[in-house]
Amino acid sequence: MSSIGTGYDLSCTTYSPDGRVFQVEYATKAVENASTVIGLRCKDGIILGVEKLIVNKLAYAPANKRIYHVGENIGVAAAGLLADARALVSRFREEYDHFKEFNSTVITGRVLCGRVARFAHAYTLHSSVRPFGVTALLASHSKENGPELFMIEPSGVAMRYFACAAGKGRQAARTELEKLDWMQLTAVEAVTHVIRILHIAHESNKEKPFDIDVSWICEQSDYKHEFVPDHIFQEAQRAALEALQPEDDFDDEMED
Amino acid sequence: MSNANNTPLPAPASYGGFTFENTHRNALLTRMGYDAPNATKTGTTIAGIVFKGGVMLGADTRSTSGSIVADKNCEKIHRISSNIFCCGAGTAADTENVTGMVEAKLRLHELKTGRKARVVNALTLLKQHLFRYQGHVSAALVLGGVDHTGPRLHTVAPHGSTDTLPYVTMGSGSLAAMSIFESRWKPDMSFDEAAQLVGDSIRAGIFHDLGSGSNVDLTAIYLQEDGTVAVKIMRNIDCPNPKPAPVLNYKYPTGTTAVLTKEVKPFSQLAEVTAISRTIFENNEDDDAAPPAASAPVPMDIN
Amino acid sequence: MVFHQLPDFGQAVSLGTTIMAVKFKDGVILAADSRTSSGSYIVNRVADKLTELYPDSIYCCRSGSAADTQAIADIIRYYLQVHAAEHDAPPPVEIAANLFHKVCYSNRGMLSAGLIVAGWDKASGGAVYNIPQGGSVHQLDISIGGSGSIFIYGYCDEFYRPDMSKEECLDFCRKAVALAISRDGSSGGVIRTCVITEAGAERDVIPFYEVKIGPPMGAPGAAPAAAEAAPMQTDVEVHSDN
Repeated sequence: MSSIGTGYDLSCTTYSPDGRVFQVEYATKAVENASTVIGLRCKDGIILGVEKLIVNKLAYAPANKRIYHVGENIGVAAAGLLADARALVSRFREEYDHFKEFNSTVITGRVLCGRVARFAHAYTLHSSVRPFGVTALLASHSKENGPELFMIEPSGVAMRYFACAAGKGRQAARTELEKLDWMQLTAVEAVTHVIRILHIAHESNKEKPFDIDVSWICEQSDYKHEFVPDHIFQEAQRAALEALQPEDDFDDEMED
Repeated sequence: MSNANNTPLPAPASYGGFTFENTHRNALLTRMGYDAPNATKTGTTIAGIVFKGGVMLGADTRSTSGSIVADKNCEKIHRISSNIFCCGAGTAADTENVTGMVEAKLRLHELKTGRKARVVNALTLLKQHLFRYQGHVSAALVLGGVDHTGPRLHTVAPHGSTDTLPYVTMGSGSLAAMSIFESRWKPDMSFDEAAQLVGDSIRAGIFHDLGSGSNVDLTAIYLQEDGTVAVKIMRNIDCPNPKPAPVLNYKYPTGTTAVLTKEVKPFSQLAEVTAISRTIFENNEDDDAAPPAASAPVPMDIN
Repeated sequence: MVFHQLPDFGQAVSLGTTIMAVKFKDGVILAADSRTSSGSYIVNRVADKLTELYPDSIYCCRSGSAADTQAIADIIRYYLQVHAAEHDAPPPVEIAANLFHKVCYSNRGMLSAGLIVAGWDKASGGAVYNIPQGGSVHQLDISIGGSGSIFIYGYCDEFYRPDMSKEECLDFCRKAVALAISRDGSSGGVIRTCVITEAGAERDVIPFYEVKIGPPMGAPGAAPAAAEAAPMQTDVEVHSDN
């Protein structure tokens, strides 16, 4: 960031001399400091998981949402500025509805991802607007393409992933995700892993209390996007913490 | 309802926009039992065929207004571009304007793309325009030309439907013209055969259709040996209805009429010109011209 | 006294028609006559009422106003190109049918169009949709339309089988259109067919008078394939001037 303070970071419409668009990088920074979001593709479905930091104990907990329904076969998890995320999700929903209205069929994840990415990218081209401080994980299921996972970044870059993470704990999460043999995982197993990885990703923020939300699209949900039923979530949470426990014990022993 | 017709119309200048004076006038004429005025329609024979390496378009030259021949030698084959021509039947104003509009659009398209326009390009512009106006633009067209895909021939009906055929006819004389094609058209005809056949089909219209008449116009668009597109415009290639020579002689020899009296009057008069004032000339000091010297009446011959 | 009746070209050019689309084992077959008329005049005796909407996979049969159906087909063809470009795959037939529904229903009252959309896609295989005047959509195994169709409802009900082979289905369609042509003044000319399967679209045309009218190939009581070559005795007198 050698060029900071030289005026090249005030607007998206001006490149820095070394070819960077600082406003986009700042938006990316906003996401990097936000609570962690991960997405994981498994054998027959997609799992989305979010870490929700409890900022205010008096707030009504379920109101703090980071996973959104877009359509019955599509869900979005967002990392970054919550208000920006809401604006982006409303665009997801508009595109979903518009496609359905026009074609009388449901949009595929790939096409929706492409359309919203183009929208996000448009916010990196004008001086009068600010790029979205959001990275969105899009989980979809369609007859043609099966379960799919996409990630859209503030720059408008969008790619399909088998597993991805965004937010503060993304590095730790990605390291863990890379160890998984995702093609062999059932949806329930994947939920356990997602919760476990979110706990690991939270390590850097250890002093702050947090909640976890997990949604999925899989056979159990009839290939619709919905939050993981409470009993499965509780069981997975228990299994995840158990999986983390021996490691801690082992560490303790090493310290002895 | 009738109140609207009886209300005096505001002066157009004070309002601007459209005036509907003619609507009121026509309604009045209809109420009084007269026909409202009609647009000039070309009861027409137009035709076209595909021959070896090109298309041959033909048209008669009669333009009618009701039962009156408005123009005995009008042109119904319009240029759309250097390689595309179009015969028009229907309301003359509509065929001329719609082909003119497409000519302009295609030229701009050619300049923009740096390529020669295709016949389908003209076809699409025509059909979309005519469809938009739901048949109110009364143009029935035969569109023909040669582009890099080869010779192309189409018809466009006033509602915007199109047909693609190797031989086509349009207008009130289309039935007569089509009967010629149906009996004599064959694939890969030579230029001369094509000119003869289309000429005959137009003549069929001229002689057997009330709405068609006068002369035969032909236009050929065809590929030459060297691969370039040539156009041959054969205006009035045949005039089967020449103005007939007077049957009687209306000239009279000198002296046919007897001279009864003779009187000669000299056509010259004496006029008196009087100078009213000299001061006009004296005050004009810069004027070198000498004032008229004579103050006495001068006799002048004004013959 | 009327000396001469001019053809009224102000009258809309319309497809008094026989059209049909039929599902068979490997896909669909579309068939149509080729008569286009304006009043009592035949404007085009070899018209093509089977219109391509997407190459090799989706076609439609058009009946009603020629101008209206051509304009609608042009619009849908454009929409399907956009859809294919965005999805990087051929559009499903269902999408095409729903687009027709959208255009026909939202402009109902202004249009005179009865359409049959048919084609093959990876998700559903062969599919036939009928979009009649008014703009509703009906998915069917077999759909017939146009003024000539009223003469062949009985034939189609009697002889349609969902498990026909390509040859059997082609024969079924040609005989159906030939029957309609022989009774409907507004249908005539040649019989066009289009077979759409996974392998693509295959078009064909035969003169009306070459069809030997009778029960279709493979139907119970039909002549065996070998006997097809000989003309069959029928109650219907067939005029070759159709």
